[in-house]
Amino acid sequence: MNKAYIFFLLGFILSSPVFGASSSVELKPVFIDLGNKASLQRGAQIFFNNCSGCHTLQYHRYSKFVNDLGVSEAMVKSNLILTSQKSGEPTKLGSTITNSINHDSIKEAFGVVPPDLTLTARSRGPEWIYTFLTSFYEDDSRPMGVNNKLYPNVNMPHVLWYKEGLKTYDENNQLILKVNGQLSQKEYEQEITDLVNFLTYVSEPAQLERYTIGFWVMIFLVFFAFITYLLKIEYWRDIK
Amino acid sequence: MSKFVAWIDQRLPVSKFVKNHLSEYYAPKNFNFFYFFGSLALFVFILQIITGIFLTINYKPDAASAFASVEYIMRDVEWGWLIRYMHSTGASFFFIIIYLHMLRALMYGSYKKPRELLWLFGMFIFVLLMAEAFMGYLLPWGQMSYWGAQVIISLFGAIPLIGESLALWIRGDYVISDATLNRFFAFHVIALPLLLFAVIYLHIAALHTVGSNNPDGVEIKANKNPDGTPVDGIPFHPYYTVKDIFGLAVFLTIFMFVVFFMPEFGGFFLEKDNFVPADPLKTPEHIVPVWYFTPFYAILRAIPDKLGGVIAMGLAIFVLFLMPWIDRCKVKSIRYRSSTYKILLASFVISFVGLGYIGMQAPTPILTALGRTFTLIYFAFFVVLYFTSKNEKTKPVPERVTMHE
Amino acid sequence: MKNDNDSLKRRNFLTNLTKVVGGIGAVFALIPFLSTMSPSEKTKMAGAPIEIDISAITPGTFKIVEWRGKPVWVVHRTAEMLDIIDGKVDYLADPESSTEMQPIYAQNKYRSVKPEFLVLVGVCTHLGCSPLYKPGENKELGLEWKGGFFCPCHGSKFDLSGRVFKGMPAGTNLEVPPYYFASDTKLIVGQDRAS
Repeated sequence: MNKAYIFFLLGFILSSPVFGASSSVELKPVFIDLGNKASLQRGAQIFFNNCSGCHTLQYHRYSKFVNDLGVSEAMVKSNLILTSQKSGEPTKLGSTITNSINHDSIKEAFGVVPPDLTLTARSRGPEWIYTFLTSFYEDDSRPMGVNNKLYPNVNMPHVLWYKEGLKTYDENNQLILKVNGQLSQKEYEQEITDLVNFLTYVSEPAQLERYTIGFWVMIFLVFFAFITYLLKIEYWRDIK
Repeated sequence: MSKFVAWIDQRLPVSKFVKNHLSEYYAPKNFNFFYFFGSLALFVFILQIITGIFLTINYKPDAASAFASVEYIMRDVEWGWLIRYMHSTGASFFFIIIYLHMLRALMYGSYKKPRELLWLFGMFIFVLLMAEAFMGYLLPWGQMSYWGAQVIISLFGAIPLIGESLALWIRGDYVISDATLNRFFAFHVIALPLLLFAVIYLHIAALHTVGSNNPDGVEIKANKNPDGTPVDGIPFHPYYTVKDIFGLAVFLTIFMFVVFFMPEFGGFFLEKDNFVPADPLKTPEHIVPVWYFTPFYAILRAIPDKLGGVIAMGLAIFVLFLMPWIDRCKVKSIRYRSSTYKILLASFVISFVGLGYIGMQAPTPILTALGRTFTLIYFAFFVVLYFTSKNEKTKPVPERVTMHE
Repeated sequence: MKNDNDSLKRRNFLTNLTKVVGGIGAVFALIPFLSTMSPSEKTKMAGAPIEIDISAITPGTFKIVEWRGKPVWVVHRTAEMLDIIDGKVDYLADPESSTEMQPIYAQNKYRSVKPEFLVLVGVCTHLGCSPLYKPGENKELGLEWKGGFFCPCHGSKFDLSGRVFKGMPAGTNLEVPPYYFASDTKLIVGQDRAS
């Protein structure tokens, strides 16, 4: 498992983007650890309590959480499934993660339809999401009273402001906390890390098994290459 | 068992086939590293067919559900992610292999008499493969799929008179749409694979008629034992089967490493923007084709004229077909050719790789200038070669093949 | 000479080793390919147990619900219907339900947990058509017919417990799915009572 972890890190480093974002804001690093089930569970809870009202994970199913996050069916049903079907019954475990917001009215309120977040960690990268969620600052000229350093004039309000507080620019053009939130800076960054960790898992659930299986496949193939090498040498002794 | 074999052989010459193409097919004994790529290409072709069939089982060629069906394969279908990554990684590896296979032919003069037809079939495979890869890339229906296809098909619009109607006919709509996706699916999963299968068959049939070239460019059939077998030839089976199995094992190790640990290959094999569903109203900031098309894409961009660019790109591929007649040197292998040829080929390879890099980047004045220079070198290779190769100063070619350890 | 012999041994050993290891690899490589054809997460979740409210099914009526894409019948049998089932059985092929077409708790003449509620998979055991519910006597279906299920495809007949008549194309009784009563009005189909 430790060796698999090395492969995991190697794969992660090598798969980092070559086509960097054109934005001038530097992305902050975030430590992704999909082996940390507790972090994934916390991330899921943060997502469903704060984000799922507007954002969907439309390609993912609730039922996947049972195995992947190591929680019980009952836990998923009571803590994560907050929506209901048309009939009024709670959404089924096997459903994809959608919501029932009205696209027209939400477009009127926010100017855009909130994007689906299933694949955001793949299309933009975990660092982008992390930086985005830690780059809100107070800006009275915006309809929501906040703006974002990474994504200027974004339409999304700072939903997690009650946790983070409110930032503003200091004289050195750095973001500093102006109003305190429920959490300390460090606690907030940890929560965002958990959330990004969760979204990274959702973007590609196969990652949970891919590295471990890959490790064993590598062992097998290296062994196979070795014996076929011996075989080749043995036969080619005939050739002068 | 032998009775059974005899029963079959009376009705279908299986043993004769095995003899002719494996156990008594004589190949030069001095093949080097570059000679792995023929059998590997065949392996990857079969792998693509098989993984493709299993993807088709769950994929939906419909603009409304294509993107979701790929994500369905990635998360809801058991092991679907592995099959999909093998297919997407296989596409890129196919081109790595084919480019090295073609470089081998350029190095050792494998297109020269009597192997002109073999080369032509190979070039047809290359062109079909590009069409196959291009159409396959539309199927995931992501932003890069959509806009890449939009740009490439619009190129046909540059053709005078018929261009616009041709592009319209290919798309079946005014933009890339559901109609385009459906027909590309049909071409990608059945029409082109069938054609590829046929031309690969012809390629191998032609190879087994004239026999393999080798790194020395010596015809092994010119030196025969009293029993009629070539002195420098060895039976393909078992010697090259064991060697190719070893090559396959090494290849698989590298290939599966990419599949399991870096299937996106840093955005080269699976582009980031392709994880966003196609949106006909919003072009991504930076559209590039997949890496294996970028050398030709860079040539297209190097010419400051739409039609001129399309012609240059087409010519860059077409001129390769003419290699057997452009290169008029009698000596095949680079080992015994002049330093002129070595310099020419080296600059050709550098310009090709350079163009590949430039094709991936956003155009800047420096890169555009560099792209034009490389384009010039690319075409200069063929022109200079045509004039210098006829009276090239070559080294003496040995009678027999040489072995290097 | 000895050297040659050793070489040959080694060669055979390596050839066989390559065949065996390569074969093992090939078999393992088959697994993911074949697995993609088994039911996906989506399909499996669609086949999850379903809840049925049975309070609205009055005596003598029945309800069709979908479970795993198949029709499941819930019939509320009247006392007269149960009397018919208690009656003559000589025309039935397997009146005691000895063939395993039902969970152990439904292996009785009523083929149910509660006699008044019959739960059946509504698929003919012959070739998969869905039989029709035909309550009451019906001369066209023969003198023995006192209500039951009739398959329109090949004419198989089943009684009010889903037991097949003798000499029918269908060889076994209709299937009873796993089910249990979560309460007096709530029926769960697709799962045995949670232990």
